[in-house]
Amino acid sequence: MKVSEIEMISPQTVEECLYHLGEKDKTSRFIAGGTDAVVRMKDGAWLPDTWINIKQLDSLRYIKEEENGIHIGPLTTHTDIVHSGLLQKKADVLTAASKEVGAVQLQNMGTIGGNIATASPAGDTIPTLFVLDAQIELTSLMEKRIVPINEFFVGPGRTVQAQEEMITNIIIRPQTENEIGIFEKLGPRKAQSISIVNVAISLKMGEKSRECLGGKIAFGSVAPTIVRSEKCERMLTINPLHDEAIQDIAGAAWKEVMPISDVRASAKYRRSMASALLERGLYRLMKRWDER
Amino acid sequence: MSKQVEETQAYKDKQNLQWVGKPVKRIDGSEKVTGEQKYKTDYNYPNMVWGKVLRAKYPFAKIKSIDTTKAEAHPDVVCVLTHKDIPGFNGFGIVTPDQPVLCENVVRCTGDAVALVGAETLEAAESALELIEVDYEVLDPVTDAEKAMVQGAPKLHPDGNIHSHVSIRNGDIDKGFEEADYIFENTFYSPRQMHAFIETEGGWGMLKPDGSLMIQCPAQYGHRDKLQIARALALNPERIHVYSSPNGGGFGGKDEITVQIHLALLAHNISGRPVKIHLSREESVLAGIKRHPFKVTVKTGATKDGSLVANKVCAIADTGAYASLGGAVTALAIEHASGPYKIPNVDMEGFCVYTNNGIAGAFRGFGVNQVCTGIETHIDMLAEKTGLDPVEIRKKNAYRQGDVSSLGHVVKSSVGTIETLEKAEQCDLWKNRDLYKSQVSEPWKKRGVAIATSFHGVGMGLGSPDYGAATMELLEDGRFKVGVAIEEIGTGNGTVYAQVAAECLKCSLDHIIVVQGDTTKTLDSGTISASRSTYTGGRAIATAAPNMINLLSETAAEILDVPKSEIELANNKLMVAGDESQFVTYKQICEILLDKRKSTRVEGHFYLPKEKEELRNSGGAPHHLYGYMTHVVMVEVDTLTGQTDVLKVVAIPDAGKVLNPQGLEGQSEGGAVMGIGYTLYEDVLIEDGMHKTKNFTDYIIPTIRETPEIVTIPVESNEETGPFGAKGIAEVVMIPIIPAIMAAIHDATGARINRLPATPERIYHAMQATKKPSLISR
Ligand SMILES: Cc1cc2nc3c(=O)[nH]c(=O)nc-3n(C[C@H](O)[C@H](O)[C@H](O)COP(=O)(O)OP(=O)(O)OC[C@H]3O[C@@H](n4cnc5c(N)ncnc54)[C@H](O)[C@@H]3O)c2cc1C
Repeated sequence: MKVSEIEMISPQTVEECLYHLGEKDKTSRFIAGGTDAVVRMKDGAWLPDTWINIKQLDSLRYIKEEENGIHIGPLTTHTDIVHSGLLQKKADVLTAASKEVGAVQLQNMGTIGGNIATASPAGDTIPTLFVLDAQIELTSLMEKRIVPINEFFVGPGRTVQAQEEMITNIIIRPQTENEIGIFEKLGPRKAQSISIVNVAISLKMGEKSRECLGGKIAFGSVAPTIVRSEKCERMLTINPLHDEAIQDIAGAAWKEVMPISDVRASAKYRRSMASALLERGLYRLMKRWDER
Repeated sequence: MSKQVEETQAYKDKQNLQWVGKPVKRIDGSEKVTGEQKYKTDYNYPNMVWGKVLRAKYPFAKIKSIDTTKAEAHPDVVCVLTHKDIPGFNGFGIVTPDQPVLCENVVRCTGDAVALVGAETLEAAESALELIEVDYEVLDPVTDAEKAMVQGAPKLHPDGNIHSHVSIRNGDIDKGFEEADYIFENTFYSPRQMHAFIETEGGWGMLKPDGSLMIQCPAQYGHRDKLQIARALALNPERIHVYSSPNGGGFGGKDEITVQIHLALLAHNISGRPVKIHLSREESVLAGIKRHPFKVTVKTGATKDGSLVANKVCAIADTGAYASLGGAVTALAIEHASGPYKIPNVDMEGFCVYTNNGIAGAFRGFGVNQVCTGIETHIDMLAEKTGLDPVEIRKKNAYRQGDVSSLGHVVKSSVGTIETLEKAEQCDLWKNRDLYKSQVSEPWKKRGVAIATSFHGVGMGLGSPDYGAATMELLEDGRFKVGVAIEEIGTGNGTVYAQVAAECLKCSLDHIIVVQGDTTKTLDSGTISASRSTYTGGRAIATAAPNMINLLSETAAEILDVPKSEIELANNKLMVAGDESQFVTYKQICEILLDKRKSTRVEGHFYLPKEKEELRNSGGAPHHLYGYMTHVVMVEVDTLTGQTDVLKVVAIPDAGKVLNPQGLEGQSEGGAVMGIGYTLYEDVLIEDGMHKTKNFTDYIIPTIRETPEIVTIPVESNEETGPFGAKGIAEVVMIPIIPAIMAAIHDATGARINRLPATPERIYHAMQATKKPSLISR
């Protein structure tokens, strides 16, 4: 398939999208912001018969609070997320991650649905969705199903989403009053960089000084898919999160990850950085908590 | 007054300057900022053919056969060309033409061109490449420059793998080390930096109905490109016209032939249609010229009082598969390897070596970036050992104008090192460095402040011709067209040319039209490289101006009917001295000249001053002229991760007279950022001859978020020979910042990184090696 032979259609409704997706004799793929799609098309990796352009589907671009959580439409851009008052208040870990995606130009075009569907081990919003217990709504012509985030990814670039399915909603758990979150990213530079390691942390704090009642920690870019660090999570509640406790928890992180070596970094460094980012993140979180 | 004297006065007059030294806006500023400026590769033409190059599949292999039948059968293919279709000499290269236009028997790197396709669309051209069948016999690539030098290593070229060997010896090195109280010895490795210009290599070509060949492409020396094209195509160079300005960035990467000969070959095989080649970024990474990675071993001896007494340097440059300017780069590196100092005993040698690692060539700094780190690091180590002030050590050892340098020659041109160091000592960042260092943004971060100084030759050095020429034409509307072949590659030299012309001709800046990079309209004026274009082009214009003034005055005298000696140059007109009512405008003069069928055009030629004698085996040292520079930088290192930010830069160039302060700042800031990229981020990784770095995804250049506050404080040492006292700074602005950042990292963390780029990972591991892991709140 040549790039010039690819057809592009721009449906006006979700139903129309699903209809085209279901066409058996043609391969098709969505294009939202195109920031992954165009790159891979040029590389020759993604050359479907048809691009289904969904950028204009405003019905899938929303952020709203419902009974069962905050609903984020897949076409919500990173910039939408960064500017959302609701998310700043109840999902600060996600706004922090969207702020780290590429740079402003990228954030204006790129969508959260695209970030999830690309399923890169280095995708920056993905670890935050793990600590926010996200549920991904997949819709096809025949049915709608909800997949918990920890069952969604099966490997680098691979998810449980079937060819005829579309991501139509992302439901996350709103953080409560005493919950705070942070996203830490280590890239080769500050903007336009692919994560060498990243980590999302969300903590529920208690009444006493730096008392942590529980929390979630998810690492990206250190394994084929996201790693929830259960051991570190368990350690969060042992002692108040003063510097020494932070160091102990961070010290346990390197054993939890299974990174590879590539052009960006060695496995050894990635391991050390899992600890370093957790340490830095917890320190910054506690400082913010003290100063609230 | 003789012409020579007049001319000398014109460019030396520093009183009442109207344009020179003023922050005039760039003549091409608004079109650049708005993006309206069109580069050569931005153009498309009706009926255009797309050209594509088939690159080698392996870094080192014999070609057994090339079969183009299938590609030729592609319905949208116009032509497929191989080495058999080259009418002239199948090779190019500025100094040694050892790079095949299209490979015949052997490929030596994956950037090598094996065949050309011309097709109706880019896509068709790309698919036709896949239809060309090349039968290779794969050879083991030579990937390490040092191993390549060893006897028995597979030979890339008939004369062996050592392309050049240069050396400079002065004094008695053994005696020097005997006198030394301290000796430091270290090995430094430098990255394969990429020019990363915004406009990748490309352009278009066309055979005109009259049989002349037109090439439009970004390039750094159109007049020389003509000769290289002519040699390969067996054409008369006068029948080739190259339009090579403006460039979307050059930095040395377009000094060598890029696509010109390929365009010329295609143009000759497509019946007069225009043909375009434009490398994708990936292809530019693969086939474009890069900076030479060096391994430099430096041994420096010093006495207790801080005197440098001996310096021994051995540098090995990996030039990749072809020479290009590798020999010259290595020679310039060795000339500069002992810094701007007067070390009595030196022994420096450099080898330029072929490998199968891409192709290296000219790049801003031209070898000095790679060697400046050794001597500067050792001076800092000496300061640490002795407790002496690092600035004092540099001042003590720096040569002044009239002193004998480490090379053993008397430096006759202006030298600003000591003034730049004094300015550095007085700058806020250096004076208050302890305060700045204490203001870390988070407790586990550490700051360091450091200083380094360096220098860089201006012009070609001995052994290569080095001249400038300018034309000046009075136009019917009374404006002047000033032609200097030297291209605009982003530096803003055209604005400086306009300033110098307007100053000399006493007219307003908008009366000057500058033409650059057009071989039909300009005289050969040498390259845009070697920090030479302000100096050379400026002097050529200042040499042409008196000829124009002479022509104007003669004509005015005739019109006003007074002796020529009574004619005076005023703003945009000529008048009778002391009588403002009697004047003629430039426009009127043009009318008269045209009426009389007289030429309205003059020329000026200038040959750069040179040293008399070349140092034996040095490959062109010494230069007559150098630019000098000191940098002060502050870095902050995150000790948890090794991430390092350069937070502040003070740049102190000795530029001679500053002709355009904004232009100087532009160079200084761009140079600083490029130096930051070199030191902290950039490297094209090649393993077993294959590129690991393929695109900007993995080639990390600084963005605006990595760009620190940069303050530029020029030292204006007057250079007698320069236009209005100017010299060149375009390269030196990225040099001392390299060792300065390395020293600042050491100041912050105690770690020394001798292998660049100093990535977070390398800094982290170097810190680990010096002490226990750094933890929070210590
Ligand atoms: C220069 C650059 C820098 C980048 N930096 C970062 C970074 O720092 N961090 C990071 O995480 N990513 C980064 N990216 C990757 C990319 O920008 C993000 O992953 C972005 O969120 C993708 O969104 P998009 O809308 O552009 O996706 P698209 O490219 O439009 O689509 C990507 C994939 O998602 C599928 N898709 C999109 N929407 C849906 C849907 N609703 N249902 C099912 N499938 C869907 C598409 O079919 C396609 O397969 C960068 C990319 C570039 C080019």
